[in-house]
Amino acid sequence: MVGKDCVAIACDLRLGMQALTVSNNFPKIFSYGDVYLGLTGLATDVSTVSDLFRYKVNMYRLREERNISPQTMANLVSSSLYERRFGPYFVSPVIAGLNQTTGKPFICGFDSIGCIDFAKDFIVSGTASDQLFGTCEGLWEPDLVSA
Amino acid sequence: MASVFSGAPPQGGPGYSFTQTPRAAPSGERQHGFYPYTDNGGSTLGISGADFTILAGDTRSTSGYNINTRYAPKLFKIGGEGPDNKGAQIVLSVVGFAADGDALKERLDTIVKMYKYQHGKNMTVSACAQRLSHILYNKRFFPYYVHAILGGLDEEGKGALYSYDPVGSYEREQCRAAGAAASLIMPFLDNQVNFKNQYMPGSGTGHNLQARQAQPLPQNDVEELVRDAFTSAVERHIEVGDGLQMMIITRDGIAETFTPLKKD
Amino acid sequence: MNHLPQAWGRPRDDVYGAYDHSHFQTSGPIQHTQSPIVTGTSVVAAKFKDGVVIAADNLASYGSLARFTDVKRLRKFNDQVVVGFGGDVSDMQYLDRLLNSLDIRENYSSSETALNAKNLHTYLAKVMYKRRSDFNPLWNHLLIAGLDGEDKPFLASADLLGTTFTSPTLATGFGAHLAQPILRRTLPDDASVEDVDQETAVKLVKEAMKVLFYRDARSMDRYSIAVITKTGVELHEDEKLENQSWQFAEQIRGYGTQVN
Repeated sequence: MVGKDCVAIACDLRLGMQALTVSNNFPKIFSYGDVYLGLTGLATDVSTVSDLFRYKVNMYRLREERNISPQTMANLVSSSLYERRFGPYFVSPVIAGLNQTTGKPFICGFDSIGCIDFAKDFIVSGTASDQLFGTCEGLWEPDLVSA
Repeated sequence: MASVFSGAPPQGGPGYSFTQTPRAAPSGERQHGFYPYTDNGGSTLGISGADFTILAGDTRSTSGYNINTRYAPKLFKIGGEGPDNKGAQIVLSVVGFAADGDALKERLDTIVKMYKYQHGKNMTVSACAQRLSHILYNKRFFPYYVHAILGGLDEEGKGALYSYDPVGSYEREQCRAAGAAASLIMPFLDNQVNFKNQYMPGSGTGHNLQARQAQPLPQNDVEELVRDAFTSAVERHIEVGDGLQMMIITRDGIAETFTPLKKD
Repeated sequence: MNHLPQAWGRPRDDVYGAYDHSHFQTSGPIQHTQSPIVTGTSVVAAKFKDGVVIAADNLASYGSLARFTDVKRLRKFNDQVVVGFGGDVSDMQYLDRLLNSLDIRENYSSSETALNAKNLHTYLAKVMYKRRSDFNPLWNHLLIAGLDGEDKPFLASADLLGTTFTSPTLATGFGAHLAQPILRRTLPDDASVEDVDQETAVKLVKEAMKVLFYRDARSMDRYSIAVITKTGVELHEDEKLENQSWQFAEQIRGYGTQVN
């Protein structure tokens, strides 16, 4: 979610199989330097994809000698997912971060094959996305600050 | 050759008379190509307060991606006098399959009017609520495909709100959203009406946080919440829009309002 | 030559085998309509300040075959109601008979006022809903156009499921996709009905019929049109689409033999 000169990203810690809860400590947000990546969907793909991007982002840092920017990360995620166009990872990622040069908040979301949704306000993802859409659309306003 | 043109019905075959019963009948189950339900979209919402109940619903009616009409009410006054339900104190909202919704409304309305005629007093909301449950359950194996919400004032004058599933399970609640955008509206209501996930500032951290206690909201606040809930639902759900109809039940009767919503 | 008259004109059993009498059977499973057979396409209608215009073409299709080209799908009930039928034609004819008997009953009854469009819509909607609830639907989408109890324009729809709604403009079938957007340009809401006169409304509906003929493969250029006002019903059953322009056809590329 975008606020005044800030972004926020949050997830629950539940891991489940439909109605059955398997674990209460399964984080879905991963940090890649200046960028956060949230992953919902098939748990094995959440782990695989988060590790894949840790590898890719580390390689980027070694080659470029700088952190990856949220915008670049978005395009990296998109192209990486589209590589698997006909056998996709079952994840719907969310990215949040601040632009490295301007400091402007940046968020975006993807479908499982890499179509980017550049939203100005908020991105939701996962099994409760309908509910989150409702609450966000009802409570979000421009320039929110942290309490 | 003579046997070919004998003119007599062949042995074992049917006679020439139309009245004679035929031997073979087509057997086997025929598959049904007719599905008797459709979804007309839209959403409804009810919130009860200390001395009032508000019911609301959008006025769009859809079939697939088509908009049938921009004004098809989902809120109905129940009881009262005559076809305009003058003096009614109960409101029914139905969302789902509109034809079933209309049929259900007409049945409940007649029952409540007959009750007044036979007993000489108005039906209480709790009695009406239980009757509605029975009507729905009576069609348990060919249900009215609707989510109903019934609103009024109880015997103590407090706001009363009952919500139903299509086969008659019902419960009295503080607030309820139903229909296409129920999943979008309901968590917003949990947060804003029952203050779920809200905590008293500075009351601690983690499990020490004190939850904010829910209390009945004033009528104006509730009307604003309803409007916000629907303008939000319109943004994110294609079957919701065009207009917002609200009925506010107080001891002075039922006040009806209409607010335009986005038509896209 | 067979001397038994029952056998005359009937396939000979010794040549064709025993005649299958199951069609005349009165017991056994009852067959319900599972799909429409001979069908009529769109009906379009629009309100205007003094009444309603309604139109439907005169074609009854048998699948993709243009089978009957002179079938009137608008039915005048009395001098203030017209019903337009889309969907199965045999079910339309059944409803027509039903409306005839209703009309006769009404005329013999002591009732002072004639049935108005609102009454008739309620009646037809209940017939449709009853039949769908019996799993024996009348495969039609009806538009009921006319005047209500206060002589105001009335336009409403009822379909095979018993679903009902009213709107300043209505169209069934293909018309719901093609004609409604055109009609709604002029009549977006109830308030706009007051600004539209009869001439504008008739022109609008004729324009919609033309667009439907251009793009609906199950339509034809002969149609019926009715205008219902306080002065009565003005029904024309053999109109021809006018001012067609097929110039746009030249612009179309990529179909048929012409590939580029």
